[in-house]
Formats: sequence, C-alpha cells, structure tokens
Amino acid sequence: MLFFSFFKTLTNHTITVELKNDISIRGTLKSVDQYLNIKLDDITVLDELRYPHLSSVKNIFIRGSVVRYVHLPAAEVDRGLLEDASRREAANQAGKAK
Amino acid sequence: MADAGEEEATSVSEPLDLVRLSLDEIVFVKLRGDRELKGRLHAYDSHCNVVLGDVEETIYTIEEDEEGEETVKTIKKQSEMLFVRGDSVVLISPQAPS
Amino acid sequence: MSFFGFDTTLPRDEPRSGKSKGIFEAQDPFAQVRQARKLQAFQDTQEEPLEFDDTYDGLGDKLEEAGDDFNDDTFGGGVEAGTISKGQISKDFDFFGQTAQVSSAIEEEQLRYNLQQQPKASTTTAQTTAQKPKKTGYEKYQDPGYIPEIQAKSSVWGTKPQARNQEEQPERISTASSGAPPAKRMMSLEAVEAAMRAQSQPVPPPQQVLAPDHTQNLYQQSVPMRQYASPDLQQHPMATQPQPQPTKPIQYHQRNASKQEAIKPAQHPIQILQNPNRAQHSPQPSQDRGTIQDTQPSRPSQATPTIPVITHPQQLMQLSEEQRKAYLEEDARRAKRNHKIFLLSKGNGLMTPQDKNFITRIQLQQLVTATGNSGDADPEATLAEDFYYQVYSQIRGAPRQHPTQPLGHFAQTYLLQTGGRLNNRRQAVNGDNHMQRMQQQVQRAVEAAKLKPKNKQLIIEGSLGKISFSNAKTPKPLLNIKRPESTDSKPATGKKANAEVRSSDRKSVLRNLETVYQDLMQLEDHERQMPPPPTAGDVEAAQTHMEWRQKTQVLNSKLWRDLKVLEPIVPGSTVPHPFIAFLSFAKGKKSIPRIFRHIDQEQRVTILTMIVVHLDQLDVISRAQIAPGESHPPPLVREEIELFSQVVMPCLLGYVSEAPINIIIGLLGLVLDHTTVLTVAKTKIGLGILTMLLSRAELVKESGDVNDEDWQQWTTLYDRLFDTLEPVLGALFPGPVNTSDDMYIWQFLAAVGIGASPEQQQRLVLGVKDRVMETVMQSRTLPADMSSQRLSNVNLFMRAIGLDVELLG
Repeated sequence: MLFFSFFKTLTNHTITVELKNDISIRGTLKSVDQYLNIKLDDITVLDELRYPHLSSVKNIFIRGSVVRYVHLPAAEVDRGLLEDASRREAANQAGKAK
Repeated sequence: MADAGEEEATSVSEPLDLVRLSLDEIVFVKLRGDRELKGRLHAYDSHCNVVLGDVEETIYTIEEDEEGEETVKTIKKQSEMLFVRGDSVVLISPQAPS
Repeated sequence: MSFFGFDTTLPRDEPRSGKSKGIFEAQDPFAQVRQARKLQAFQDTQEEPLEFDDTYDGLGDKLEEAGDDFNDDTFGGGVEAGTISKGQISKDFDFFGQTAQVSSAIEEEQLRYNLQQQPKASTTTAQTTAQKPKKTGYEKYQDPGYIPEIQAKSSVWGTKPQARNQEEQPERISTASSGAPPAKRMMSLEAVEAAMRAQSQPVPPPQQVLAPDHTQNLYQQSVPMRQYASPDLQQHPMATQPQPQPTKPIQYHQRNASKQEAIKPAQHPIQILQNPNRAQHSPQPSQDRGTIQDTQPSRPSQATPTIPVITHPQQLMQLSEEQRKAYLEEDARRAKRNHKIFLLSKGNGLMTPQDKNFITRIQLQQLVTATGNSGDADPEATLAEDFYYQVYSQIRGAPRQHPTQPLGHFAQTYLLQTGGRLNNRRQAVNGDNHMQRMQQQVQRAVEAAKLKPKNKQLIIEGSLGKISFSNAKTPKPLLNIKRPESTDSKPATGKKANAEVRSSDRKSVLRNLETVYQDLMQLEDHERQMPPPPTAGDVEAAQTHMEWRQKTQVLNSKLWRDLKVLEPIVPGSTVPHPFIAFLSFAKGKKSIPRIFRHIDQEQRVTILTMIVVHLDQLDVISRAQIAPGESHPPPLVREEIELFSQVVMPCLLGYVSEAPINIIIGLLGLVLDHTTVLTVAKTKIGLGILTMLLSRAELVKESGDVNDEDWQQWTTLYDRLFDTLEPVLGALFPGPVNTSDDMYIWQFLAAVGIGASPEQQQRLVLGVKDRVMETVMQSRTLPADMSSQRLSNVNLFMRAIGLDVELLG
C-alpha cells in the first residue's frame, strides 16, 4: 500500500505519466487506487504530433499496468518520510510473511 | 508495524532487504525495453515499484544505417523525481557513486 | 415479389439482395456487364424473344428465402398485412434505415398503379418481379425515348443516394403531373393505415439482424445527408412543373399537422420502450446490439415524422421555405433526442439487479480496504498501511481525511521530528540557517570581546607559563565519557598494526545504517505509545509507565549499540571507524538529528568527541580537499557537505553552544593532537567546527566562568592552532576572490581574531590583507545587495580585530 499511500498525497498535483507504448500524458492527478490506476484531468499529450490519438480527450483513466513511469513534482515529495515509509513497508511485509 | 519485524527485519533475510540497504543511495535499475536508470532510491515495495530522485534514464536503440550496419544509439533523459512501475524492472543494483 | 407488380427495380433496391455493400461484397459486380454483353449478342442475332434465364443474373437464387417463418409474427401476420408488406418488408431490408421513405415510395407506387394501370403491372408475376429487381438497367436502352443515365452503375459502387434520387424523381414527377387530387385521395384511411403500420413496424425482419452491422452503419451515416439533400433535388424538377392548386398545400399541411399530432404520442413511448426491451432480448454482445439499436430509434425519428407530415415528397415542396425548415429542424431535434435516449439506454438490462448488488458490494469492500477509513479500524494498522499519506498530511497541513481518528500523539511525534526535516527540504529557502546561527555565535563573541579591553587577554597571556600538554589532551569530562576509546587508542597509536579486520565495507555499513533506522522507528513508535503520566495512587498506571520507561531504555541502548560509536578506535587503520563510515552516507548524516532526540547529553558529547577525533577522516573533509586549479569540490561531495552542515552541524552546535570550557579545551586538543589541522582547516566543515570551538571559548571567557588554569590551557592550544595555521591563512580561501561562498572563512577568521593577541592580530592581518583588499575592491563592482553582503562578511572579521572596512576607504 506504500505507493497507493504515496500517490494519494499527490492528488491535485500535475504529473506526467509515461505509458509503456511511449505516450506521455501530462495532467492533474485526480485519483488513484490500490492498483495504481490513475485518473487524470486536463490532460495534454506530450509529442502530440506523433500521438494525436488523445488530442480531443480532456480527462482519462489509465490502467495501472500500462504505466511505465510517473514523473512527479519533486517539491511535493518528502524523501526522508518516503524512505521511512519504505522501511516500514518492508517490516510489514516481513511481519506478514511469518 | 515496525515492532513486528524487530530483529528479523533488520537482518538481510530476503532479496529485497538488499534493496532496503540502498535506500537513499544511488542505485542502478535495469528495465525492460533496453532502458536503464540511475538515481537515488527513495522508495520501493515488494513489486519492485520504485521512486527514484535525480534520475538519469538511458535508452538504447539500435539504428541501422544505409550500409545495413547497426549502431547502438543512446538517448539520455533526466528527471527530478520518477516513479517506476515494478513490472518493467529487471534488476536493481547498488551503485557506489563514482 | 411485388404484389402490385410495380417497378421495384430501383437500383437502390438491389443492394438489399447484397449489393448494398458495394464492390466489396462477394456479389460479382461485373455480373451486370456480362449480362449486358449477352443481351447485346442476343439482340444482334435477333433470334428469339428474351429468355428469362438469359437476362436473369441469378441473384434471386441467392436470396435467402428461409427464415421467414416468423415474419407473420413480427409484422402482425395475416393476409392483410401481407398485402402491403411483402413489398414493405423487402424495403425494410434497405440498410439505409429508410423504411419511412421507402414506405412513401410504396405509396407512390400504389398510387401510380391505381392511376395509370400500367399494362406491365397487370402482368405481374413472380417471375417478373424476380427479374425486375435484377434488371441490369440496360433494358432501358431498348426504350427509344430513354436518355442514357450516367449513373446507372452507381449501384456497383454502393453509392446509393444519388442513384436513388435520380430514379425516384421521374416517378415523383409523374405523380405530381397527374395532379394533386390523386395525392389527396391517397390520404385516405388506407394511406393513414399504411403510414401507421410503417411506423409501428420499425422492427426489422430477423434477416436484417443477421446483416453485417458495419454495412448498416455505413449507410446509416449517409441517411441524414440524403434526407436533407433530397428536398433540394426534388425542388428542381418541380420548378418546371405546373404549379399545383394553391389550396392544396394548405390542406395538406392541416391534415398533416393533425395527423402528426395523432401519431406522435404513440411513437415516442414505443421507441423508449423498445430499446430496453430489445436490449434485454438480444442475445448478441453489446457491440452488435449497440449498432443495431442505433439504426432503429434513429430511423423512425428521422423518417417517420416526414411520413405523417409529408406523405408525399411533393408535399414537402409545397410547403413554404420556413415550414420546410421548421420540419427539418423539428426532425433534427427529434433525432437528437432519440439518440440521447438511445445512448442512455444503451446498457439497459445488461445486468440483473443481483449483478448490480454484487458489484456494489465489491466496490464498497474495496473502498473500505483501500482507504482504511472504516471507523473501527485499528489506527495502528491504518498507520502501518498508509504511513506516508497520514504523516505527510500532518506535516503539510493537508486536510485530514478522518478528523476523528486519534492521531494526536502520533502527529506530535512526527511534527517534532519533521521540524528538522522541513528545514532540510526547504534548504533553498533558509538553507543558511546553520550558518546564521554560527554567525550569531561569532558575532556575540565579537561583541563581547569588544566590550572588554583587549589587554586583558594580554595580561593573561603574559602571565602564563608553559602548560602541560597532557592535561589539555585529556580534560576530565571527556575522560570520563570516552575513557574506553581514548585509553584504547593511545596505546594503539604505537602498535598501529591491529590485526583485527573490521568489516567496515560498504554493505555492512549500510546494514548498520538500516538497523539504526529500524531502531529509530521503533523508538519513535514507542514514544508515541507513551502512557499518560501516572496520577498519584494509581498503581496500575504507574506500573505501565515504568514498563514503558524500561522499554525506552532498552531501545535506547540498542540504538546506542547499533550506532557503534564506542567501537574501539584503531589508529592508522585503513578502515574507517564504523561510526565515521556511518556518517559518510547521506542517510547516516540525516539520522543524526533523529538520534540526538533520543540520546542524553553524555551520549551526545560522545558523538561530538568521536566526530572531532576523526575530523580529517570524515568524508566531508577528506574528500572535500580541493584539487589544484579547482575552486570547488566535486558536486557529489558538495552535496554531502551541504547536507552535513544542514543536518549534523546544528546538532553539534546545539551542544557546543552550551558546553563548558573544559569540553571545548578538550575538543580543540583532540583536533590538534589527532588530526591533520591543515587538512581540516581547508574545508568548510573543518573550519566550521573550529569556529564553533573558538567562538564558544570566547563567549565562555567573556561570561567570566573560566578559571585561570582552564584559560591557560586554552591559550596554549590557541597558540598552537594559530602557529599551525598562520602560514596558510591566505590559502584557506578555496578559490579566487569572486568565489562567493567564503562567509565561513570570514567567520573563522573573526573567531580567530577575537582570541588573538595584538601581535597575533597583526600576523593575522598580514596573512589575509590581500584577500581583504581584493574582496573590498571586488565588492564595489557588485550590485548593492551582494556588495554589502560581502563587505559585512569581511567586516565581521575586521571588527573582531578592532578595525572596520570603512577605514580602508
């Protein structure tokens, strides 16, 4: 749940989602779920000339599994806290495994 | 909870614990599709989803010139903060800063 | 097929038997050509009359005659229905969704049949009808009056619309020329029935469902266009027609209006009801159903209004422009509405209520687990699952999702802890926080020094003799704390070759680090679970509290052990001390503030001592040595230096700024004895620590808490430091004068200057005067704010030795 938790803090911030088919979509993160499916508003497609498919689409739902990267606003990420959260997640997992 | 893990969680008992050692360190991540990343590891989970800071992405593409000779071209991209979905990850390796 | 034997051979009808798909249909498009050739040959030879088989292209055989079993059910059955409809049904095959128009055409045919009694029609047989629809169009060449029609073969290309209109027009003209009365007669009960039937039977025969949907779509798209185009086309021939009686249009209009009213109400409910019903009954997957449905509501909507309103095309023409427009608009509106209804009802009936319930349950369950906001959820569990979000929301002041959740304790813990973090993150904003504090300390020292006459120092200095170094090296408080390692280290200095190989390699250090973080998080969690302080007499609470304190103690000692601060020092070892190695990692540095929160003063001073003893081994000092020709250390090292001064220095300063003089003396002694002072002094961190110690000593002295013996020790150490550094004073500056970051050096010089004797001050000025002059000169070329900043840096030093940049003119 670490990344679900993480992405929740980024709602209403602008992110860029790069899909596995190389399309990059920039938009406002509206919501995310535990599968890291993503809902974006006010999207624009980077390199629109090459990928005009979505030029008329305003908001989209992206299935988590097709995501390759998400470029995040660095200022909105608390790195230290995130590392701590990772450690806790690891401890949780280890606890569950037993 | 952290308490649950206690001693076990602190020792390297499973592969991902090695990744934990690299938290807040520079790591090298190899991805599907001839991509490599180098950046500071801020988060990971059991799916190998990761968040990297100050990342450099290297994409290797093979280009064929007129004589049919293949040359490997590299494209480099920078990102301040990047979420990488685990299903693209091939390996995560600690990388001592050079 | 045509019951009336009227001409059903309009090319547009052919597609119904398959050609509507254009040349892409399996039907051989060139069959007509072949037929024509054959016909030609036959005509040339002038042998026999036309043989049906010769002219028959065999398409009739390909018609699927089966599957009509339910036609009666579908169309109301009976002979009566059959009367109109054999023709109509076949028209319904029309993939244009033109039932309505077709039905009007039928009426026209009917009318024409009645009026003109064409001999041809009277001989109608199954044979002719079968033949006629299959006519190639070439027959017309036999008609002497025939004007070759250029678009005769358009059917081959599936371009129905044009061909159709062209074909229709002659008919219309003929009806029109026969006068309005017949048309009026057409509006008899019979006609009304026919129209209503046409409406109430928009359901296509089963065969249509089997027809490929894409074809249907293809033609459907062309429907609106054709509809709106046709009036125009119709109008042109009309221009040449004799004007009908003026009264007729009005009559028609009235009739039509009333009829429309009568029909409309029935029409819409049917449509609305139809869609869901059909959706439910359709066995096909949604995609197919969608397309079929698409054609159905739209067909009546587009066509039916024109039927009651305009039973005959010419009626439309007889209407005024506005009326026509109004009709068309009305039409479009209705189409739109129907389309909306269709869209809304698209998925109707797809799921049963049970299905819906099931899905809803799943969704609710997911919601509960996903957000973990069920009221009775264990807050600890929630925290474990959603740690980042919960804490982040607290820190950043995001609106809390569950205001009722008891997060108070937790929030406090982390807010305290992240206070430091916030600073780290916003280092760009108030990044020089630490430097400012240092500046303040130096400034305070400078101010304090200025209040007292310099010669006090001189007197003290003059009155002192030699001080025993051994005392300075091992001041009492330090001895007490670090006896284990210092006693350990001293004998080891000689032996050097300590065979013990400590695993200070990267991985084990990282492992240590992670262990420390684990300890820290446990401590923080534990702290959060602190029971309320026991009230007097509450034994149980006291007990809990005791247990809690004990646990804290256990965790604390575990943390201390894992920090490995007290690991024996092996001087000369190539492997750095574990704690120093620990500090060489960014996360090691970052852990220091968190560690300092949980350890006591004694442990803090031990850490400070540890750092000072290994000052020249710290990565931020050893790796920060500037290569010749460079003015900065490499970027990665610079980052570490920044981090160290942001994170570790404040902790150290926090302790040093309250430390008694003997600690300061001890620390400076350690620096001088155990480290390479020149290496230390050439780095920002090294100078920072020296500045810290020097300025603290001055402040303590000014406050008068120093006895003579201590001060003698201090002065001796100070002299040693001064003598060591004097030759390199000018070289402390890493780069040329335009290197902006030299504030820490001026601070250091100021700290040195305060404690210096007049003689030392002179040497000091000599050592750095070039730099002072350069900086002052350079600052004059800078913008005002930068200039004043640089000058104030220099002035800090100048004032420490009783001068001012102003004096330099």
